[in-house]
Amino acid sequence: MKQRFLADNALGQFLDWLTHYGVLHGPTRTAEGVDAFGPVQTESDLCLDYRRTLIPPKKYLLPPRQTILNYTTAAGYTLPDRPAPQQVLFGVHSCDLQGIAYLDRVFLGDRPDQLYRRYRNALTLVGLSCEPDPFCFCASSEKAPRNADLFLQRLEHGFIVSAETTRGKGMLAGLEPLLTEIEAIPPPPVESRMMIRLRNAAERGSTFPDSPLWENFAARCLSCGACSVCCPTCYCFDVLEHGALDGMTAERLREWDNCLFRAHGEVAGGHNFRPTRRERFLYRYLHKYLGFGALAGVPACVGCGRCRVVCPVAIDLTELFAEGDDVCA
Amino acid sequence: MTRPSLAIAGLTACFGCQLTFLNCEAELPTLAGLFDFTYFPMGSSRREIGGEFTAALVEGAVSTPDDLETLVRLRSRSRVLVAFGTCARWGGVAAMNNHLSRVAMIESVYGKGAGPTRSFNPGPLHRFVTVDFSITGCPPEKNELLATLAALLHGALPVFPQYPVCTECRNRECLCLLIERGEPCLGPITQAGCNARCPAVSIKCEGCRGPVTEANVASELEVLLEKGISREEVIRRMRRFYPEWDYGQRS
Repeated sequence: MKQRFLADNALGQFLDWLTHYGVLHGPTRTAEGVDAFGPVQTESDLCLDYRRTLIPPKKYLLPPRQTILNYTTAAGYTLPDRPAPQQVLFGVHSCDLQGIAYLDRVFLGDRPDQLYRRYRNALTLVGLSCEPDPFCFCASSEKAPRNADLFLQRLEHGFIVSAETTRGKGMLAGLEPLLTEIEAIPPPPVESRMMIRLRNAAERGSTFPDSPLWENFAARCLSCGACSVCCPTCYCFDVLEHGALDGMTAERLREWDNCLFRAHGEVAGGHNFRPTRRERFLYRYLHKYLGFGALAGVPACVGCGRCRVVCPVAIDLTELFAEGDDVCA
Repeated sequence: MTRPSLAIAGLTACFGCQLTFLNCEAELPTLAGLFDFTYFPMGSSRREIGGEFTAALVEGAVSTPDDLETLVRLRSRSRVLVAFGTCARWGGVAAMNNHLSRVAMIESVYGKGAGPTRSFNPGPLHRFVTVDFSITGCPPEKNELLATLAALLHGALPVFPQYPVCTECRNRECLCLLIERGEPCLGPITQAGCNARCPAVSIKCEGCRGPVTEANVASELEVLLEKGISREEVIRRMRRFYPEWDYGQRS
């Protein structure tokens, strides 16, 4: 099968060319040794063989803390008028692309979130194939998810380039001078046993009510928030409003929340819908794996493995599937 | 409309919390126009507690009869009493050795035969009076102080994070000193709000903001023991800003 090919030695030119579409960001390694998406000036800033960044690309669409409304006594509440920065996010793995596809369904579904849409429209996605490690279990690390504007499939001396969106197809036309044509067989889709178990559990609506793991998780969990901060599909946020010292203006903010925090289920008057950690774990499980609301039956987990890597007490919700599954074991 | 009247006072403390207020240099002219600083011995030569206060911000632990008298007088004249800083909220540094013999401690400082002193074990404000709100931290964060003052102008109180330092540390994409370096970081049990000030520059959290809501103390202790840090070392670190941890507490 004939494919468009970008040789390794043309990668620098390719990155330069991408800056026509916005400020270039990609996987980098910080001075402390943390892999993080960040601004990329030159090819040498990139960490091409990264496994996973600490924070997923959701930070570009739903920042950890964001002003969602401004208040003035004269104008009342108004949306912030600052435009979203035009950005190109290079090197996004399939799991994270799937994570963005899920967030799109949440924020652009029945009631579109105007700020999310603003940031999403300004973001161009360039995917990159990856090598799985013992922590991750996405179903197809090689296949290009449909929301990648461009997708780069790593070969020995370069990349197969494909365009998956209308925007991407337009981009590919302009990219032709940097590409050659090669004959290559697309790799077969990877099947992940864990992902099959997970989907089976979702289909059956399994909640593992008798598992001793719930108590075990609840006793160990530090409620540190890492699992949701680092999850590509956790989107729960808290809404806060702070009046300014001038007495006439205020900012309404949303900031990332975590379902294992006490305040997550707390409402006015101090009532808490989920007063114990055990109940919060069940809630986390129900939302993440079975889905609810408009996305009932749609598992949100994309198998990136971040929550397993970042938990200080090694809590791993997928142990529930390994323990309770008798179909695919 | 009359301007809100504030008292800012210190008990047994280093006065660093009140210095946080004075360090709000950019905002001080605005604040001076918005509030009457009716009682502020650190910043004004007026020394008498008189009249009524919209709010009193009180720094420090209570450890002497004079502290207690000041606190009670401020409480009885204030609509809102704010524990200002970790000592006022949790006991803080002054209380770290409350488990030791006071007689022996007094002797080690003042020598043999120094006689009895009138001081007692330092304790947080809520042990003595009703406290309406607190701004924790050693020292407190400017932005939390300013948010509190702004809210008071509206007759309200702000909502601060009820999650641990780890959340802010992860949000900033810092290296986890606990997992990656095995350091005795107290981030998981410490109240956020500092935006992970120390871990962001690779210094482990010392717990200066006191316990987070529902701190899983037992689990943190297990994690640190597994890393090979001795129980004595962990407890010594944890006691520095709050002496009364329940080491078996999980929620």
